[in-house]
Amino acid sequence: MTVAFALTGIHKQYPQFTLSDISLSLPHGQIMGLVGVNGAGKTTLLRILTGLVRADRGDVRVLGLRMPEDQVAVKADTGFASEDMRLYKSQTLRWHMDLIAAIYPGWDENYARDLLRRFDLKSDQSIGGFSHGQRVKALLLLCFARRPRLLLLDEPTTGLDPVARSEVLEVLSDVLRDETRSVLFSSHNTHDVEQLADSISFLHQGRLIASQDKERFLDDWRRIVCFGDYTPEWPEIAAARRNGSVLELKVRDFCGELPARLAAHGLTVQSVDPMRLEDIFVTTVRAGAPA
Amino acid sequence: MNSLNVPVIKRLIAKDWLLFQKQMAAYVLTGILSLCLLGMARPWSFYIGSLLLIIVLVATSCFAISTSLINERKEHNLAFVMSLPIAPLDYYLAKLIGNLVTFAVPFLVILIGTLAAILLTPLPDGLVVYSLLIFGHILLAYCVALSVAMAVESEGWNIFVMIASMVMINPFMMGLSQIESIHGVIRGEAIIFSSAAIVILTTQVVVSLLLLVGTGWVHCRKVAFY
Amino acid sequence: MAIERLHYLDNLRALAMLAGVLFHAALAYSPLMQPFWPLADRSTSAVADVFAWFLHFFRMPLFFMIAGYFSAMLIEQRGMGGMFANRVQRVLLPFVVLWLPVILSLTWSTEWAAANVEHPSAVLKIVREWSTMADPPQLPPGTSHLWFLYYLMWFYILQWALGSVFATRKRLQSQLPLWTWLIAPLLLVPSLLSVTAPHPAPESFLPQFWAIGFFGFFFALGTTLRRQPQLLDALRRWSPGLAISSMLLYIAWLYGLRRLPPDPGDLAAPWQLAVLGAFISLWMTLHLWIAGQRFLNVQHPWLRYLAAGSYWTYLVHLPVLFVIQYGLMDQAFGWLTKLAISVAATLAICFFSYEVLVRRTQLRRWLG
Repeated sequence: MTVAFALTGIHKQYPQFTLSDISLSLPHGQIMGLVGVNGAGKTTLLRILTGLVRADRGDVRVLGLRMPEDQVAVKADTGFASEDMRLYKSQTLRWHMDLIAAIYPGWDENYARDLLRRFDLKSDQSIGGFSHGQRVKALLLLCFARRPRLLLLDEPTTGLDPVARSEVLEVLSDVLRDETRSVLFSSHNTHDVEQLADSISFLHQGRLIASQDKERFLDDWRRIVCFGDYTPEWPEIAAARRNGSVLELKVRDFCGELPARLAAHGLTVQSVDPMRLEDIFVTTVRAGAPA
Repeated sequence: MNSLNVPVIKRLIAKDWLLFQKQMAAYVLTGILSLCLLGMARPWSFYIGSLLLIIVLVATSCFAISTSLINERKEHNLAFVMSLPIAPLDYYLAKLIGNLVTFAVPFLVILIGTLAAILLTPLPDGLVVYSLLIFGHILLAYCVALSVAMAVESEGWNIFVMIASMVMINPFMMGLSQIESIHGVIRGEAIIFSSAAIVILTTQVVVSLLLLVGTGWVHCRKVAFY
Repeated sequence: MAIERLHYLDNLRALAMLAGVLFHAALAYSPLMQPFWPLADRSTSAVADVFAWFLHFFRMPLFFMIAGYFSAMLIEQRGMGGMFANRVQRVLLPFVVLWLPVILSLTWSTEWAAANVEHPSAVLKIVREWSTMADPPQLPPGTSHLWFLYYLMWFYILQWALGSVFATRKRLQSQLPLWTWLIAPLLLVPSLLSVTAPHPAPESFLPQFWAIGFFGFFFALGTTLRRQPQLLDALRRWSPGLAISSMLLYIAWLYGLRRLPPDPGDLAAPWQLAVLGAFISLWMTLHLWIAGQRFLNVQHPWLRYLAAGSYWTYLVHLPVLFVIQYGLMDQAFGWLTKLAISVAATLAICFFSYEVLVRRTQLRRWLG
């Protein structure tokens, strides 16, 4: 299986923050959601992938090429949009579209026009007059319409109003239908990730604490509510919360025999429910241990 | 190392000029105004005209640096530019060429105009060497400002360097007036390149070039471009 | 890309070029120009003055107006960059290539005349005097009659710069009321006030305020009329009136010139002459523009030939005229005969050389 990118042993030190020992890869044609709180290192990770930041140690390969040595070839096939990337205020979106179209041979003008319509953007308006949401959509338009093989999107939906967010997610899921494209997008909004991603990586305090298929994630975790006085401290219990005789357990690596084991310790299992990604994420971060 | 991405470098230069177009147009208008003032051939208009021309030269070069480098970082456009298929060296060359041409056009117009004025009018031809040294200083000051703008992100430092390097022209001229082999021949008709003049001129040009090359070397070793 | 052909502009340009040759030839017989013009002949006539200075008021303005119109058209069709690329090839390059040969040939013929002519003009006498000096005063080099091309380049740059700084998409949809055209010449008065009357040719390499203001006005008018041709509509039926008024004003101007004759030391024109000159210039130019649209929008083979050869003729006519008129200086003909000979011979040589050197060669695409 070819990979869209592969990071091995990446290390990047800042005065206040260290990204340490990241090894991560994305199979070709897959969508990976990178989840983490603000400051977890998502943006740094994406910048290393695009060559905007050079890692102190480790090996970066994107689309089979070495970064940053082969960054020209890599960037020719990659679309990168980040929250702190700004277009030129004094120029119109059309001007930016012409610039990108002149640089990327793969620019698809018809698709760009279609996106203009779907994002409800005016191409002859200067960027300075755009709202935050319009700026994000403009940036995404410039990325999507060049039809890159790899899309790296840093917080594409952050700060968008619900309408803009659904427009972006809709277009993104259209892009993702094309199986030749790979996407890595970061977010602290787990709902978006849950909706779009094939696989999910949790980043916390500069460390990768989980990286798995979305389905396996969801399969592995359960929320169990039971009654009784016993509080189990087993490895698979990521969190336990007691309220009187009611005990709420959040379980990783759930397997079918667990309710019986709980019952054997005098607990009455009332319910076993799958967990939302957000809940899994928060639990993982709080537990501080690998998911 | 990959070969240069020339088409994109050209695009980036054209882009920077386009972003700078309105200001550049204003400077061109001022430049034409100052040439017209010179053309009136009155002492006062000659004085104001030549002063304006130098202001245009300094303003054009400083604002070109500021628009194309400092603002681009400040406005977070740099990440956008660096996400295009270019290597740091391509970016450096685009900025270097774009800025040097923007600087060179008014610089050469004034340089050639000055030399023509000295050689074709009753002004003593001995002024040629002295003028070349002054222009050498302007070139050096510009290269310092350009290099600092590439290498240093602080806006305050950049403004300081731009102003300081240009203001240094005064002590420089004072220094020249202390060198007899340069100052003593100003009023003569002979154009004498004394060894002191040659050393200073060569230093100015060589240091300017070294600065630009060194900045490119530093730039290619930067670890962050956003 | 096919460029639309505007026959009346081609024809107007051809006629303005002919007027140029006539004008330059007539200067030799102008009493007014005796102290200033190297070609000044012994035989003079006030008729030459009357004739030459009338042409002088509108032939260059008309050229600039046509040039302005075409530059706006080029920008429309090819964009600013395309316009500059075209103008560099068609205007700047001929200027750069021909400047030195023109200056050298004018200098050469003048030096020859100073040494050999028996009846030299006042200017030639000075040149003769200088040639005996050990260290003769040197005049700064000028653009000669190619100043038209030189100023055009400045106007193209100004057009870009002003357009960039004051970008606006507003266009007047209506015509301009008649009275605006009647007072518009007042805009030209400051320019004409700051030079002698009749206004000289701005041949210095340093651009002159008055020339930019005066000729630039006509250039700008041409660009404006390309974009908003309807502005002239209110004026169209008054066009003959403009011509008649201009001629009457010209009589007043001649009278004024007699009362207030120019002096070499003058820095400025008397205000009466400047005002009259401004009105004559604009009104006559507008009249010719409108009359050209009405009567000259035709295609005649000879007109087309004249138009095609007019650029080349403009470029080379002055050196040719210098040689011919220096040659005629010692001849005992009357002024009218000399004028006729010099005009006919100059045009003949220009068009012959056009036929041989330009029309049948690669140069046709460049200077045709």
